[in-house]
Amino acid sequence: MTWFGKVRPAAPGSRGVSSAPTESTAARQHAFRTFVEPEIEVLLRVARTLTGSWADSEDLVQDTLIRAYGGIEGFDGAHPRAWLLTILRHTNLNSHRRQRPDLTPQITDLDGQRPAFGVATAAGPEQTVTDRVLDDSVETALAALDPKFRMVLLLIDVDQLSYAEVAELLDIPVGTVMSRLSRARDRVRSNLRSNPEFRRNR
Amino acid sequence: MMSSISTMLTCHWSARRIQRYLDADPAALLDPAEVQRLEAHLATCEKCASAAQEYRGLRRALLGWSRRRRPDPAVTARVRTAAERLLAEDAG
Repeated sequence: MTWFGKVRPAAPGSRGVSSAPTESTAARQHAFRTFVEPEIEVLLRVARTLTGSWADSEDLVQDTLIRAYGGIEGFDGAHPRAWLLTILRHTNLNSHRRQRPDLTPQITDLDGQRPAFGVATAAGPEQTVTDRVLDDSVETALAALDPKFRMVLLLIDVDQLSYAEVAELLDIPVGTVMSRLSRARDRVRSNLRSNPEFRRNR
Repeated sequence: MMSSISTMLTCHWSARRIQRYLDADPAALLDPAEVQRLEAHLATCEKCASAAQEYRGLRRALLGWSRRRRPDPAVTARVRTAAERLLAEDAG
């Protein structure tokens, strides 16, 4: 039984689709469209979690795409997302933009920027108020977490990466991913417990 | 007495598996016997069932929070345009 509802498309390579392209531009373009373009939104979300801002996320993903295009001929087509996440990690490590080891300020900053990202809910104003109350608690609880724990929690529960994908992205063992995730959830859970909206909705 | 000790042991056993059960991540699936034992325990133990409910609620709260902070569609559009430019440049 799965309640968290992760839906993972099968890796194209696993269905025996042709592997890496060879010389031609057309083959590179085809591989890029097949393996890379479908992952752009995931990359943007993950990059947002890593960098803490949409602006940095946009730069990081653009650089990642350039590298991916450069390396597409050597890619065997087996696990496009894992491959792209590895490129994303290297790109982020090598980037000259300011490193942001801690997400706290960005989480708080989101408050002022909310309208720019649109309100994706069709719910009535009342719903929005209760959402807002719960959102504030979520932000406070996230901000209280050790950044290492918060990163894993966001990558899995928000960006919906798998344990293995997060292990790849952060270059840590799957067991470490699981223990950080578990601790992060337990801390946020006990923080949220005092919020009546959380108790009501859980 | 014996039965309460055994329940406690099962709670401890369950607590270490509830998240893996809910996540059902391919890297750390419970085996069918563990799933069966855990589901049987959750059906009778108020405390563990409530913990499972809280994990689900946490997941919902996080998803709701993030859904109200979607990327600006303009960001996605710009990145897609940049990707197309890469392809066009390669074609010369």
